[in-house]
Amino acid sequence: MSELPPTTSVKRWLVTTNHKDIGILYTITALFFLLFGGVLALLIRVQLWDPANQVLSGLAYNEAVTAHGLIMVFWFLSPFAFGFANYFVPLQIGADDLAFPRLNAVSYWLYLFSGVLLGISFFQGGTLSAGWTMYAPLNVPMYTPSIGSTGAILALTMFIIGVTASTVNFLTSIHHSRAEGMGIMDMPMFSWSILATVWMMLFAFAALLGALLILGSDRVLGSVYFSATEGGALLWGHLWWFFGHPEVYIVFFPALGAMLELFQTFSGRRLVGRKWVIISICLIAVQSFLVWMHHMFLTTINLEIKTLMMATTIGISLPFDLIVFSLIYTLIKGRIQFTTPFLFAFGALLLFILGGITGVFLGAIVLDYEFRGTYWVVAHFHYVMFGGATALVGAIYYWFPKVTGKMYDEFLGKLHFAIFFLGFNAVYFSMFLAWETPRRVFEYNPEFQIYHQFGTIGAFVLGFSFFIMFYNLGKSYVSGESAGANPWDYSRTAEWAVSSPPPLENWPDRPSYASGKLEFVKDYVPDGGPAVKTDEDGNVATDGGDTHSSHISRYAHWDKHPSHASIWPFALSLALGVMLFGLSGFANSVTVELGETALQSDVVISNLLYPTAILAGIGGLLYTGVKWGTEDFYAPPTEFAERWPFNGVEKVKLGMWFFLASDVLVFGALLSAAIFIRYNAGWMTWEPLTDPLPGLINTFVLLTSSFTVILALVAARRKSRQGLLASLGSTILLGFVFMAIKMWEWNHEVFDKGVTISANAHGDPIQASIYYVTTGLHGIHVLLGLVVAIFLFVRTYQGHYLDDERPIEYFGLYWHFVDIVWVFVFPLFYLF
Amino acid sequence: MIDPIILQRGSDWRAQAEVFDEIFFVFLALGTLVGTIVVAYTLWNVYKYRDDGGEPREDFDAPTVGELPTGQGGPKAKKLFLSFGLSAIVVISLVVYAYGLLLYVEEGPDANEESDIEILVTGYQFGWEYEYPNGHTTRGELVVPADHRVNLDVTSTDVWHNFGSSELRIKSDAIPGETSEVWFAVSSETVEEQGGEATYRVECFELCGQGHSAMKGQITALPQDEWEEWYESTGGDSENSSNVEGGVSVDDTASVSHAAVGGVPA
Amino acid sequence: MSDDSLKLYTAIYVALLVAATLNFVLFEATFLEFTYAQALGGTLVIATVKTLLIVAYFQHLRWENRSLTYVMALALALTMLLMAAATYSIS
Repeated sequence: MSELPPTTSVKRWLVTTNHKDIGILYTITALFFLLFGGVLALLIRVQLWDPANQVLSGLAYNEAVTAHGLIMVFWFLSPFAFGFANYFVPLQIGADDLAFPRLNAVSYWLYLFSGVLLGISFFQGGTLSAGWTMYAPLNVPMYTPSIGSTGAILALTMFIIGVTASTVNFLTSIHHSRAEGMGIMDMPMFSWSILATVWMMLFAFAALLGALLILGSDRVLGSVYFSATEGGALLWGHLWWFFGHPEVYIVFFPALGAMLELFQTFSGRRLVGRKWVIISICLIAVQSFLVWMHHMFLTTINLEIKTLMMATTIGISLPFDLIVFSLIYTLIKGRIQFTTPFLFAFGALLLFILGGITGVFLGAIVLDYEFRGTYWVVAHFHYVMFGGATALVGAIYYWFPKVTGKMYDEFLGKLHFAIFFLGFNAVYFSMFLAWETPRRVFEYNPEFQIYHQFGTIGAFVLGFSFFIMFYNLGKSYVSGESAGANPWDYSRTAEWAVSSPPPLENWPDRPSYASGKLEFVKDYVPDGGPAVKTDEDGNVATDGGDTHSSHISRYAHWDKHPSHASIWPFALSLALGVMLFGLSGFANSVTVELGETALQSDVVISNLLYPTAILAGIGGLLYTGVKWGTEDFYAPPTEFAERWPFNGVEKVKLGMWFFLASDVLVFGALLSAAIFIRYNAGWMTWEPLTDPLPGLINTFVLLTSSFTVILALVAARRKSRQGLLASLGSTILLGFVFMAIKMWEWNHEVFDKGVTISANAHGDPIQASIYYVTTGLHGIHVLLGLVVAIFLFVRTYQGHYLDDERPIEYFGLYWHFVDIVWVFVFPLFYLF
Repeated sequence: MIDPIILQRGSDWRAQAEVFDEIFFVFLALGTLVGTIVVAYTLWNVYKYRDDGGEPREDFDAPTVGELPTGQGGPKAKKLFLSFGLSAIVVISLVVYAYGLLLYVEEGPDANEESDIEILVTGYQFGWEYEYPNGHTTRGELVVPADHRVNLDVTSTDVWHNFGSSELRIKSDAIPGETSEVWFAVSSETVEEQGGEATYRVECFELCGQGHSAMKGQITALPQDEWEEWYESTGGDSENSSNVEGGVSVDDTASVSHAAVGGVPA
Repeated sequence: MSDDSLKLYTAIYVALLVAATLNFVLFEATFLEFTYAQALGGTLVIATVKTLLIVAYFQHLRWENRSLTYVMALALALTMLLMAAATYSIS
């Protein structure tokens, strides 16, 4: 199944893996969530009209506030930006598609279904009401007991799994498929901003995934991390903001990229100090991980660390200064065209300047002490995050002609901008004036009523302005003027060099910048072999943008056409959604009544719906996973490409390493939690819960399994089917032995020692929770590895992998990583 | 009984509100100034260099589709670094200045174990409980004497709250399992100016559940002698903990709604 | 991989087994009388060595583009940062 149905067919949109289709899907879905979050915002504003208003109950108001924040930050801002990134990054860097088209589709479908789960959570006894920052311990079931609260948190978890896939995909694409001659410093600024964004995402979202897995376990399985008085609440603060501060730039950078792009196109000038802007962007990406505790100035963290974080916070504002000045100076001496996209980008700059200046206020700790929890913060981050997103609204108008081939209506566009800009400042500037109002409070000091009323009017104006845009774009799509390939006078980037909309495979011939500007070159393709680059006289070139390492020639299917269609990303995401839906109600429908032994324990199921969904989801995941693995889907690697700094690393291997790097942070979050809590509780007051000997035996088992995986790789290289089967078989066997010892140990802990996930007969319950959750997550990794190993074993039996042993090698990378995690888990829980 | 040590005007302590107002004013003035200059400069240039349909300037070098950004020369960046340097100086000096005052706010005026009053503030869904040195506890209202440094140890019994009074410019996270500290003092002049009793609104600044909006309280500062009289009447007796008034008249307009405080089902 | 020698892989494997046993000995062998701090420090050193062996040889990072090593080092550094800074903040 490789050919795509036409765009008019619904099926096309379910099976497509093409980056442009998926970009469109992202954008439309994100705009839907803009409406969703926007309606919630208007509900909040209505409540604020009068300090005595009770349109919503206290709980419903908190739900609205929480869902508004979560939807706008997660389900609108980033996916909206990644709609553009999907569509335009491959075009801007001269690639045919993203590196892993099916993975790209799975990211989108996980995003969509996670949004569906969030929507469902409203009907599961009310969605989460703990604020988008979900401060502990309000985020645990004792204080937010509804099933929907768990549903919302699992929805976010699912969203982040999708984000991780997307991050790995973009990193691999940008580092593996840039057109020949496009060095990393030559990339267009929008692509640069996306590159910096995905680097931050790789680590920041991994830490959040770790935090959410812990929270999910607190809510579904009954561990007690975030309600623990041994620092549980502060732990959430650390994990959340370790992610949360980079997240600010993750949201802002794509918008900045759009600004940088649009300022150049509509002034006819090249970016001033381009190199320094790129350096600033990289600096900010690094520094974003060094400032997180400025969100925690009023907690009990010590003065030394506060001072340090204040210094780094000021440090991070400096590169932004440089970028802002660069944007301003780029306009000077240009020929500025006040088109709708430019107006939005320019408006975004003005809003960001205001957001930036008010942010400096927050950097001073004394001021922050007072601004904490007030509308000053609310106003500031709306100016920064939504102010930035204003540039993305400009990007819609900018790229609309490219995506649809039609021109939008300029007058309506400008009208949209005027009303938008007025409404924006009315709603958010009034927040500065009413800044003493506490956040998320509707019974506020009547002194500030006039400002809040002004803000409410502004909010409706702002909301209304988007309907002008929807009308404009809808009307133009149906009956707009034809836009042509390049409607702008001073555009530079490659998406304007192809027709509007671009053809499915993007380029007529291979794009190359080898001569210093974009050219399309024809490659000579001998039968069945890899393409060979030729110079003008038809001679075979000897050097390329990359050392064409031997891995290129390992691809066996040179005569094959790239595949575009697969239903499995959709099906797999659906299965995961069903499973997570089931998990959301697990704690409320399944009770385990412990007896003397495992056999005497009872499992009471009060509601069949949720457990059934879990089983159906797991079954679906296994089925679709196998279908995915056996599907004949071909995504050729770019043969001649710039790959700095990952020259010579094969595509899937590169992706695998990026994934492992993010997984380091997932475990990093869990291990940090273990050490933070234990340190807070008094390190030496805890003794290991477990006997060291089973741990040592399991260490031997796991190390041996790593050895057999290496043997498997050697056997595959030597084309020994027997050897491959034997070593894979031993690996599987050892994996099961590991799990069996683990089960024995847990059984022993629960029934002989009275240590369960939420209770500890020998000490702090949190110690038991940490032990089960950390080793449990490791166990899940082993289990997933086993599933893949069994899949590989069966496929080997059917005769695969002897020509191409890469799947064995990449599975090995994962398996060894799981082994390394155990190297640290073992001493931490069995010896220390 | 605690010996009063009068914090006279002219001695070297400053209320938190005073420190805050000073820094806020400096930041606001400079922020407005810098913002206005930058925005005005930008707007003026955007107008000046608009495309009016006329002939392009001689040095105007239009970009083309498919060009690489490197090797195109590109505009000079000298002015960029000048502006950057200036803004860096402004920002860094602002923060160094603010940091000096932070140390004061953290430490407060000299602590004096004799005269300082230690109050344990415990947040709960949805109100505040105050425990005085003699063990007396009240809910909703904190009564303190003028001219004493009051040290608050803030914690929580359930979820994360944030104890704050905007008028006093004090704020502190109330986190279960943790105790954070904050201090304040009200001078007797202020109490006199407000008619013998100064009242300050207390609010919760961290979302803590469905009663968050209504989680309000009050700090009342009394003249030294009146407070002592009241304090002795409590006699370390915590039984009347629900009796918030405790012999002190509460100004009705101060918007402390006892029905709302603690009246919301947890 | 420039080196597919079974001998080398076996040697690494044996070294890993020995290292794991050493971990155990540090804490459990009473006759050696290590202090807790010594045992903890020693264990961390051993864990680091084991990790380096696995990464360098079993995941053959030794023979890969050095940039992959830097990516993993960055991930590790961020983990250490989170762990150390969070723990330090409450000390």
